[in-house]
Amino acid sequence: MMMDIVLNYAELVRQVGAGDREAEAELCRRMGPRIRLYGLRHLRDAHAAEDLTQQVLITALEALRAGRLREPEKLASFVLGTCRMTVLGLHRSTQRKERLLEQFGADLPAAVESFIPRLDHDLLTRCVQSLKERERSIVVMTFYDEQTGADVASFLGVSEANVRVIRHRAIHQLRDCMGVSHEQ
Amino acid sequence: MNSRNENHPLKCSNPIDVAILDDYWLNARTSPDEAAIEEHLFECDHCGERLREVIALAEGIRELAREGSLRMVVSDAFLERASAQGLRVRQYSAPRGGSVECTVTADDDLLIGRLAANLSGVTRVDLCVYDDTGIEKLRLPDIPIRSGASSVIYQESITFAKAAPTNKMIVRLVTFDEAGIELPLGEYTFNHTRSLPGPGAW
Repeated sequence: MMMDIVLNYAELVRQVGAGDREAEAELCRRMGPRIRLYGLRHLRDAHAAEDLTQQVLITALEALRAGRLREPEKLASFVLGTCRMTVLGLHRSTQRKERLLEQFGADLPAAVESFIPRLDHDLLTRCVQSLKERERSIVVMTFYDEQTGADVASFLGVSEANVRVIRHRAIHQLRDCMGVSHEQ
Repeated sequence: MNSRNENHPLKCSNPIDVAILDDYWLNARTSPDEAAIEEHLFECDHCGERLREVIALAEGIRELAREGSLRMVVSDAFLERASAQGLRVRQYSAPRGGSVECTVTADDDLLIGRLAANLSGVTRVDLCVYDDTGIEKLRLPDIPIRSGASSVIYQESITFAKAAPTNKMIVRLVTFDEAGIELPLGEYTFNHTRSLPGPGAW
C-alpha cells in the first residue's frame, strides 16, 4: 500500500507541476478533508478550519506549481507541515477571529457543515441520559467544557487516570447505544 | 484521475485506536503522540473518517449540554463556562430542610439547584426526586461528589421545567450505612410557579 501512495503522490506532484488543472483538483479533493480535520482540532472553529483549508491548499499548489517540493513522495508530510506553520501564524494573529466573523458572519460554511456527520439528537439524548451519573458528568464536562482530566479529577476527587478510564468506558457505551461501530 | 482514488484506503492496516482518537480530539495526548497521530491522519482517510465520528459525538454532547435538557450533577467550572458562553443560568440555593420559591422563564438556558449538604466522609450519595404526594419520580444513583464538599449542584432539565405546571418538587440526598440502609443527608423543597404562558404540558 505504501508503494502505491509514494508513486501516486509523486505522479500527482509531477502533474500539478506540469500545470494539469485536473491534478490540482485531485490534490484539493484528497488533502482538503485532512486539512479541515486538522483545522477543527487545532482551531476549534468551523469557519477558521475552512479558511485554513483554503490557505494551505493555495500555499501547497503554489509550491507545487513552482516545483519547490523536492521530495514529491512526501506530499502528505509537506501539507501537514504547511498546516502547522499556518496555524502557528494564525495563533499569532489576534485579529483573526474578528476578521473571520466579519467575513463569514454566523453561518457555518456549507463545506464544514456537511463534513461532520449529524447524529440522531433524540437517540443521543437517551443514550447520554442512560449513562451512570458519574459517567454522564465526566463525559459532559469533558466535551462541553473541554476541561482537562486534571480539572475533572479535582472536581470528583478521583485520580486523572480514573477519569480517563471512566470517560473511555462511557464513550464506548455511547457508541454502542448510538450504533456506531467500534471496528478498527 | 479517478484511478488516483485508489490511494484512499477504505481500510487501514494499522488503525489508530478510537480511544486514542478521543484523547487526540480532547488534546489529552503528549506532543510526540500527537505528531504521530497527525502524520497518520494525513495519510489515512479511514482513520480520518473515524475521527469525524469522534467529533460528531463530541459536538452532539456539547449541543445537549447547551440545551440544558440533561438531568445531572455539574461543577462550578461548568456553570462558569456556560455563563461565559452567554447561556442564561437560573440558580436556586436550597438549605438543608428548607424550601425555595422558583420558576423558569423562556429565556433561561440552564436550571440549577444548589443543595447544601455535609458530604464529609460520605462515599456514595443518591439524589432522589419526589412529587408532593411523596412518590419517588426519579433517582440518580451514586452521583459524583467530592468528599468534604458543602453542596451538590444539580441541573434539572430545563425542557421539563419549562413544560411543568405549578407544582412542588422534593429532592432528597441520601447515603447508605454499611448494611445498605438509606440515611438522609438533606431534603429540599422546590415550589415551582409556572410563569410561562399556557398550562403545563404534564
